[in-house]
Amino acid sequence: MSDRAPGNSQAPLVLLEQITKIYRKDTQEVRALDGIDLRIESPGMVAVVGPSGSGKSSLLHVIGAMDRPTGGEIVVAGRRLAALGNAELTAFRRNTVGFVFQTFNLIPNLTALENVALPMEFNGVDKRERRRRALALLDRVGLAPRATHRPGELSGGEQQRVAITRALANDPPLVLADEPTGNLDSTTGQLIYELLEEIARGRTVIVVTHAEPLAQRAKRVIHIQDGRLVS
Amino acid sequence: MVLLGLRNLFRAKTRLAVAVLLLALPAFLLLVLQAILTAVETHTETLKRNVDNSLQLRARGSMGHVNMQGNETILPQSALDTAIRIPGVAAVEQYLLAMTPTEGHNFAMIVGVNPGETRRLESHGEAGNPRIVAGRDLTAADRGQRVAVIGQGVARWARITSDNLASATLTLDLKRTHPVIFALERPPATLRIVGVYASGYVFGDMQLFVPIDTFREIYGVPEGISWLFVRAVSADRLPEVEAALRRELGEAADIIAPIAAAEFERTTTRAVRRFSAIGSALAAALMVIVVFFVTLINVRERTREIGTLMALGASGAGVAASFLAEALALAALGATAGAAVFAVAGSLVPGQLFGVAVSPFLPAQYKDALRGALAPAAGLGPSGAGWFLLATAFAACAGSAWGLRQVVKLSPVEAIRHE
Repeated sequence: MSDRAPGNSQAPLVLLEQITKIYRKDTQEVRALDGIDLRIESPGMVAVVGPSGSGKSSLLHVIGAMDRPTGGEIVVAGRRLAALGNAELTAFRRNTVGFVFQTFNLIPNLTALENVALPMEFNGVDKRERRRRALALLDRVGLAPRATHRPGELSGGEQQRVAITRALANDPPLVLADEPTGNLDSTTGQLIYELLEEIARGRTVIVVTHAEPLAQRAKRVIHIQDGRLVS
Repeated sequence: MVLLGLRNLFRAKTRLAVAVLLLALPAFLLLVLQAILTAVETHTETLKRNVDNSLQLRARGSMGHVNMQGNETILPQSALDTAIRIPGVAAVEQYLLAMTPTEGHNFAMIVGVNPGETRRLESHGEAGNPRIVAGRDLTAADRGQRVAVIGQGVARWARITSDNLASATLTLDLKRTHPVIFALERPPATLRIVGVYASGYVFGDMQLFVPIDTFREIYGVPEGISWLFVRAVSADRLPEVEAALRRELGEAADIIAPIAAAEFERTTTRAVRRFSAIGSALAAALMVIVVFFVTLINVRERTREIGTLMALGASGAGVAASFLAEALALAALGATAGAAVFAVAGSLVPGQLFGVAVSPFLPAQYKDALRGALAPAAGLGPSGAGWFLLATAFAACAGSAWGLRQVVKLSPVEAIRHE
């Protein structure tokens, strides 16, 4: 079966049909996602909200090809993820998705510039071009002067801005952010909201969040509970 | 990713220092063992090349001395032609021997040789060549001449010194007897002494070398050979040459095969090879264990980071390559540290280790010779260095294999969720 979804000019960026994700631990079965149907058009910010353990992160991981669903069909940017092998999924993550994590997940022994350049390195971009683009992206978030600093020398907000910049390195159409302000104070969080909002003008940003102010900025809010969409 | 792996090496500096020290010890041991092996193999090769690839033939049941009671039978002259035609024979050397009574010592040995050939000392062929200490050696021009080179023991007996050497003569009385020497009805022969040699041991100094044709004339032995030395082209060909000699001349001759090199190789070299192989395997295993634990700790500690890299688009194989590069660099650092210690202490330790760990398992007669051979030979040959590099690379690959397997098997979501 082809990994390309049938041609349609109105095809959404993300399409989930009856997605289930079941985790098994010993004899216990946890239904993290339970028959999710979802259609997300591009561009804009989509907030996914729900209580802890409701399946928000699982949904994000499935959309970002970090995990395979147990059942159902998922198409992102016209690619049927179930039909992709591991190498193709790696390439998909590299080119189509940018991830932003709650704990920033910067590589501690690389500078901000090197962290931002890393996805481009995986994509085979030459060193000079990587450096130029990484610097331009850092400049866009006001961190060009901190380009040679390592994560340990940056504040939490600065680290998250570097992480967001890194997510944009390969210019993906989809950015997935998992609790991006969860580890930040409200003032710093506000800066991150604005940054994500700005980013969402040109691409789709799906944000998992507990933060009501961030959810209010989204053009669409998806509620999830016990692995199911509730609105 | 390889570059990232190399940079990761320096993330935990204390751990790196401890790991490098732990790797340096087995690396040093590996080098020491290789040095011992190289020294022993070099010594074996030297033995094979220089000392021990000759067979000695004598008439069956006889010492081959032309005037010795019950030992006067000599080999037929045809033995020489037979021997020289055998494949694998490099050279043959013929000797004629007689004895003459002396005062003080029981007797002296008269040896007929072809000038220029090896002057073997009777019964002690392995003692090497006597060294001329006064006058000169026999030359091709001396063939048929009544000249002789004598050991310093004979010189003392005949009162010949370097001062009177220019006019020194010695007369052989072939009618003089001794409990083991019978008289020959031959006229006395006066020999001009042209040189004095020292052999390093008393009996070796009690010999007198004359050109073999002079010997034949003096003792009335127109043909025949007391001892025939047959040199094989290499020690490896010895068994083949010996078998052919036994086939061709076994009826007429006792064949004394040299056992030193073969014996040395069978006992010492093999024992050292075995010791070195076991020791090297243990040292390499120690390196593998160190790399194993360091890699495993790194993978465990950085599991979340592995997940991040995969989320950013790195493949499992790419991430594994970074860990492999780190393991290789770690092993290389350990090996370099071990090599540095070896460069400083390498000339001392092989001898010590050899004395403590190897020599108890060796035949007593080889221990001192080998200890001497080891002292200047603490360096490594190209093959030793090659094995060392190979062992280091092997330790890095084998030690990190399990950790790399964990990385490749890790799913991105498992990794990113790892606490």
